[in-house]
Amino acid sequence: MSKNQASAAGSFRDKLKNLTDTNLLLAITIIVFFLMYLGAVLFQGGGFLKPQAFFNILSANAALVILSCGLSLVMITGGIDISVGGVTALISMCCAVYLDFHGGNVMTSAVIALAIGLGFGLFQGFLVAYLDIQPFIVTLAGMFFARGLTTIVNTKPFNVANEAFTKLKMTRVTVPFMGSVNKRGIYVDAYVEIGVAVAVLVVILMFCFLRWTKLGRSFYAVGGNAQSALMLGINVKRTRFISHVLCGLLAGIGGFVYFLHVGSGSASHAAGAEMDAIASSIIGGTMLTGGVGNIAGTFFGVLSLGTIQNIVSSAGLDQAWWSGITRAVMLCLFLVIQSVVMARKKKA
Amino acid sequence: MKKENSIFMKIVRNQCFIPLMALLLLVVFNLIADPGFFKITLADNSAGNPILSGFLITILDSGSELAILAIGMTLVTAASGGQDISVGAAVAIAGSVLLRVLCGTNSRPETLQAPIIAAFLVSCVAAMLFGAFNGVLVAYFKIQPMIATLILYTAGRSIAAWINNNELPVISEPSFKYFGEFIPGIPIPTPFFIAVACMIVTALALKFTNLRLYTQAVGINQSSSRLNGLNPAVIKVMSFVILGVCVAVVALIKVSRIATINYSVIAKDIEMDAILAVALGGNALSGGRFNMAASIIGAYVIQFLTTTLYKFKVQSDALPAYKAVVVIVLVVVSAPVVREWFAGFSKKFMKREAA
Amino acid sequence: MIKKYVMIFIVVLAVSAGAGWVFFGCAFEEEISHDPAPCEEEDYIVIGLSQIGSESDWRNANTESFKSVFTAGNGYYLLYEDAQQKQENQLKAVRDFILQEVDYIILDPIVETGWDTVLMEAADAGIPVILVDRQILLENDELYTCWVGSNFREEGRAAGRWLEDYLKLQSRENKEIRIVTLQGTPESSAQIGRTSGFADVLSEHDNWNMLDKRNGEFTQAKGQEVMRDFLKLYEDIDVVVSENDNMTFGAIEAIEAAGKTCGPGGDMIILSFDAVRAAIQFMQAGKINAVFECNPLLGPKVAEIIERLEAGEQVEKIQYIEETYFDTSMDLEKILKERVY
Repeated sequence: MSKNQASAAGSFRDKLKNLTDTNLLLAITIIVFFLMYLGAVLFQGGGFLKPQAFFNILSANAALVILSCGLSLVMITGGIDISVGGVTALISMCCAVYLDFHGGNVMTSAVIALAIGLGFGLFQGFLVAYLDIQPFIVTLAGMFFARGLTTIVNTKPFNVANEAFTKLKMTRVTVPFMGSVNKRGIYVDAYVEIGVAVAVLVVILMFCFLRWTKLGRSFYAVGGNAQSALMLGINVKRTRFISHVLCGLLAGIGGFVYFLHVGSGSASHAAGAEMDAIASSIIGGTMLTGGVGNIAGTFFGVLSLGTIQNIVSSAGLDQAWWSGITRAVMLCLFLVIQSVVMARKKKA
Repeated sequence: MKKENSIFMKIVRNQCFIPLMALLLLVVFNLIADPGFFKITLADNSAGNPILSGFLITILDSGSELAILAIGMTLVTAASGGQDISVGAAVAIAGSVLLRVLCGTNSRPETLQAPIIAAFLVSCVAAMLFGAFNGVLVAYFKIQPMIATLILYTAGRSIAAWINNNELPVISEPSFKYFGEFIPGIPIPTPFFIAVACMIVTALALKFTNLRLYTQAVGINQSSSRLNGLNPAVIKVMSFVILGVCVAVVALIKVSRIATINYSVIAKDIEMDAILAVALGGNALSGGRFNMAASIIGAYVIQFLTTTLYKFKVQSDALPAYKAVVVIVLVVVSAPVVREWFAGFSKKFMKREAA
Repeated sequence: MIKKYVMIFIVVLAVSAGAGWVFFGCAFEEEISHDPAPCEEEDYIVIGLSQIGSESDWRNANTESFKSVFTAGNGYYLLYEDAQQKQENQLKAVRDFILQEVDYIILDPIVETGWDTVLMEAADAGIPVILVDRQILLENDELYTCWVGSNFREEGRAAGRWLEDYLKLQSRENKEIRIVTLQGTPESSAQIGRTSGFADVLSEHDNWNMLDKRNGEFTQAKGQEVMRDFLKLYEDIDVVVSENDNMTFGAIEAIEAAGKTCGPGGDMIILSFDAVRAAIQFMQAGKINAVFECNPLLGPKVAEIIERLEAGEQVEKIQYIEETYFDTSMDLEKILKERVY
C-alpha cells in the first residue's frame, strides 16, 4: 500500500519534472481558476450555482478572450501590443457610424472591422520587425492614433439602431440541459451570446496553430532566443511581422465581437482593454520575456479575471473600486510565480 | 569646408537637436498661422494680483508638470530599460494622501488639519513607497518594468479612492492654491518655479554625485556593472524611488490646481506623455545613456504641441491622434535602420554628383 | 531538485490561499456585518442598485439617499454597484442582479439607448425594474415598471424664464446677450432636457446669442478646462449656463483665474443646475446668480413605490419629484439651514 503510494508519488514527481515551463504555468492557472470558482460556489452559493453565471462571464468577456489570444501571440515572440483597446474602440465607432449614418449592412461592417485591425497589424508589424523599433513605443502610438481617430470619426457615443444588426446582437446560442428555474417557476434555457462561439473558435484555431504548425513553433523559438532561432534558419523578422499582423487581425475580430456585445459606438469603449488582455495573458502563463505561453492558459486567464469581478460584486462590495485592487493582487501573485519559474529554469 | 561640416554634424548629432528642431518647427508654424499665439497679457485676477496669461504661459504652466515627471522617467528608463506606466495612478494616490492629511476626518474642513508641508512630506513618503514597490518587482523579481508597473496602474486609482473613502474632499484654504496657480504678487505660474527647482536639484545631483555614471552603467550592461562592484538592483530601486518623489511633486501641483481630486480623471494618460517626452528627447527606451536636458525640452515640446492643437479647436479627445503621428515620424526618422538607409542613399547621391 | 518543485507547489498553494483569503475573507466580513446573508433570507427585500458613478456631489447625495432608506432596519438588503460612467458596467451589474435573483432592480441609466436586451432578461426573470433620474428610449414601455426623477426640460425652461426676468430688471432685454453653455455628458437625459428647455426660451429672443456649447462631462475639472478655452476664444461673455453645479465650480475657478468676475455685480451671469449645498454657499459669496434644483433625494419616493408594488398595487409610469430654484434675492442662510444635502 505504502509502496504503491510512494511509486505513485514518484511517478508524479517524474511527470512534474518533465513538465515544460509552458505546461507548468498552464497547470497552475487552471488549478487556481477551478479552486476559485469552486470557492465561489461553496461560500457564496446563490447565483454561482447556476450554470448561467458561468455563461454570463463568457458572454461578457468573449471579446477580451480574442484580444488576449492576439496579445499572447505577440508576447510569445517577445513583443507587446498595447494598441488593441484603442483599435477595438475605433472599430466599434466606425462600424456604428457605417451602420447607422450610411445605412450599411452587417456583413460589410464586419469586413471593415477586419480591415481596420489588419491595417494596424500590418503597419505596426512593419515598423517593429523591419525597422527594428521598440514594439512598446510603436503600439503606444498606435493606441493614441486609434483613440484619437475614434473621436474624430464621431464624438458622441450612441447606440446602433440598425435592425439587422440588433437582430444579430440579440441572437443567443442556447446551451442544452444547463437552464434553471426563475423566480416565477418558469424554466429558462441557459444561453451565450454569438460572440462566445467566435471566441471559442479563435481559441481552438490559435491553439492548433501554435502547437502543430511550423510557423507556430517558430514563434516560440523567436521569443525564446532570437539569435539561436536565426541560426536555425528561422526568418526572425518575418515571424515577428506575422505575429503583429495576426494580433491586429484578432483585434479586428475581437473589436467586432465587442461591438456586437455592446451595440454602440463610443470613444471610451474598451478603455484599458489592452491592459486587461496583457494581464490575462500573464495570468494564463505567457511569459513576458517570450518563448513561453499557451492559448488555453490565456482562455483561463480571462475567465479568472471575469470570475474575480463577479465574486467581488456578489459579495456586495463596490465593484468598480474593489475589482481593480483584487485584479492587481492576482496579477502580482502570478508575476511572482513566473519569476520563481524563471529562477528554476536558470538553475536547472 | 570639412571643418564646417563637422561642426554642423556635431550640432545635428547633439541629443537636444531633435526636440529643439521640433520646437522650432512648432514656433514657425504658429508664427505663420497666427502670431497672436505668442501674445502675453498682464492683467489682474479676481484677488487683484497681476498675472500673466496667454498660450505661452499655459505651456510653461502645464508643461512643468510633465517636465518634472520626465526627470524621473528618464532615470527609470536609463536604469531599467523600461518605462513606468503607473505614474498617473501614483499621482492619484499621492494626491489622495495629501488631501487626506490636510482634511483629517472631515471632507470639507474649514481650516487645514495639518500644515501643507507636512502633508506633502507624507504624500512624498507614500509615493516613494509605491515607487519602491515597483522597483523591487523590477530589480529583484526581474519583471519587465512595463508589466511590473501594470499592477499599480490597475490598482492605483482604486487605492486612491479608498484612502479617502471614495469621498471628494475640498480644500477652501486659499494658500493651498499657490502651488498650482499663482503666488500673490508674482505673475508667473508657480508650477514653473517648482519645475525649475526640481531641475536645479537634478542638475546638481547629476554633476556632483555618481548618479549619472551608475545609472548609465547599470542600463548599458548590468553584469559588467556588477563586476565593477555596483549593485544594479539597488540602483534600479533608487531610480523608481526618485520617480516617486517627482510623482508627489506633480500630485501637489495637480491637487492644488483644483483644490480637490477626481480619482478616475486626475493625471489621466500623463504616463504616456511623460514617456513620449523621454522618447522625444532622443533617449533610448531600452536604457543606457541619457540626456536629462533633452527630456525636459521634450516635455515642453509636447505641451507646446498640445496647446497648439487646442488653439486650433482640436477636441481634447482627438489630440492623441495628432500626437501619435508626430511620434511615429520621430521614431521612424531616428530608427537606426532608416538612418543607415538614408546615409547609404546620400552617399550614392554624393558619388553620382561627384562623377 | 525536488525541493524546488515542492517550493513551487507551496507557492501555488499560497497563491490559492491568498486569493481565497482576499476574496472570501471580504465576503465573510460582509456577511457578518450585514447579517443575515442576502438572497437566502425570505423576510428581506433584496434591492440591486446600479448607480452611474460618484462624479458629483449631487450623485453622492442621490446614492446616500438610497443607502439610508434601504437599510436592514427597514427590512431591505441593498446591493450597490458603481458603474464609473460606463454603460458596459451597468449592463453587467444588471445581469449580476438578475443572476442573484434580487427582488427589485433600481437603474439610473447613463445613456438613453441600448437597454432592450438586458431589460428583457430582467422581465424574463420576473424582476421589476425601477428607473430613476435619467430616462431611456424604448419601443416597449412594458419592460420597466416606472420612472422616478426630475423634469429636466422644465428646469431648463425655468432657467430661461429666470434669465428673461433678470435681464428685464437690468433693462438689458434688447441688448445683445452673449451666452456660452457647459454641457453635461452627451445624450444623458439631464443634458438633453436642460439644453432643449433652455433652447425653448432662447428661440423666443433674437438678441440672445448662443456662442458655443461644449461637453464638460458634468465634472469640475473638465468644466474648468472648457471654461478656460471659452475665455480664450470669446470676449465679453455675458451669461454662462452650466448644466450642473460641479462644472460651475470649475468654471468659476477658470473665470477668476482669468481675472474676470461673476455673479450679481460681476462680468458674467452664472446659471447653474442641481443646487447642492456648496452651490448655495457660492451664491452667498455672490459668485452664482441662480441655481435650479434637481432633487437627488429619490430614495424615499422609490421606497414608497416598492411598498405599493409589494402590496400588489399599480403605480404610475412617470413620477416627477418636486423641485424649486434659488437665487441671490432669497434668504440663503435659512435655506442652507433647512437643507439636508
